[in-house]
Amino acid sequence: MESQASLRDRLVARDERALVELIETATPWLLGLVQGMLRDQDEAEEVVLETFRIAWDRVAALGDEHEGLMPWLFRVARNRAIDRIRRRGRSRRKTERAEALGAVGPSTTPFQEPDESAQPGWHVHESVHAALRELPEEQRRVVWLAYFEGLTHSEIAKELGIPMGTVKTRLRLAFDKLRAGLAPIEDWVR
Amino acid sequence: MTPHDWYIENRIAYVARALEPSEERLFADHLSRCEECSREVARLEHDLGALPMAVRPAAPRPGLTHQLADGVLRRRVWWQRAAPVLAAAAAIVLAVGFGVRERAGRAALETALAEREREISALRDTLSISRDARRVVQQDIAMGGAKGGLLIFDDQTTHRWNVVMHGLPAAPSGSVYQFWFITQSGMVRSVELRCDNNRPAFATLEMPKAPGPVMGAALTVEPAVNRSAEPSGPMLAHVQF
Repeated sequence: MESQASLRDRLVARDERALVELIETATPWLLGLVQGMLRDQDEAEEVVLETFRIAWDRVAALGDEHEGLMPWLFRVARNRAIDRIRRRGRSRRKTERAEALGAVGPSTTPFQEPDESAQPGWHVHESVHAALRELPEEQRRVVWLAYFEGLTHSEIAKELGIPMGTVKTRLRLAFDKLRAGLAPIEDWVR
Repeated sequence: MTPHDWYIENRIAYVARALEPSEERLFADHLSRCEECSREVARLEHDLGALPMAVRPAAPRPGLTHQLADGVLRRRVWWQRAAPVLAAAAAIVLAVGFGVRERAGRAALETALAEREREISALRDTLSISRDARRVVQQDIAMGGAKGGLLIFDDQTTHRWNVVMHGLPAAPSGSVYQFWFITQSGMVRSVELRCDNNRPAFATLEMPKAPGPVMGAALTVEPAVNRSAEPSGPMLAHVQF
């Protein structure tokens, strides 16, 4: 897989083939993320398209000292997905979550290809999963609701029936551990 | 406990987007003024950059990647549509700004304007996005023998500011063109603009979340690395809104 820095340089140079390569590489991961958050395939595809448009328009503003291309794409896509979730309103979100939990579970979106481990970036996925597995279940749950479902402190507290202070503490402890757990794949983030 | 301790305690929550919307706005506003928190939030985002990869990839439906590429490339943003006429506008600005002095004659100016009548007409049509702009500011820039300019106008539809830098050579080796907003609380770093003689630089920006109104903008040349929070390089342009 071409390095993110090299791909970014080609995007800055307005190389349309680089854009196609980026889309082919990043779409399954972006789609997995935002489809899991939004529970709506059409909306997820809209967010992914918006993300690539932003990348194509603004990639030149990403200096060398900034984060890698993929983490940046993830951040844009995740923020836009959360903005959409919050615009929907709380009641609809709760129903959606309940339906989604019954349908596909909280952590995965089915991948249809026979060998998903052949997907570029799969080793990163495995490393991140390993870091998450190291967390106590109650911390992992809070991380999931905040980071992957877009819930706020108060919404998580209500969802789990625990005090808001406990939510904040668990989130802080979990992310401190995750920062250490993700350090071995730091090179991928650059 | 100081007021700043709240921000320190909630950096992770901000990155995770677990803050309540009103808290999130408060935190974002603070970030525009606090270098320490900005640095720490950027570090957190970097350290957690791989976390979204926890979610398994989803196979795109057949044809989706092609549609996405098509959707990005077929949509030409306003400045791509307007680039040729913006270049013409820049030429006219230069003709008016410098041609008068260099040719020192009304006839020469009339000739220069006549030659560009077609471009002016196209400009009126294509730059519809700026027709509704409440404010348009322009400043000539001379640098290393090159004569260019900085053009800024607001877009009332999207509530963004559009910035065009044109006619300048690429930034000297080891440095960058840096755009700043001037606020009541000081200079707020915005985007780096990349430009060369043949290609203007364009950016669409939100106003910084600084307290009080934004009073103007500036363009400086800054070191590419170890940049400071305040401008340290030569000031190329300084405009008041």
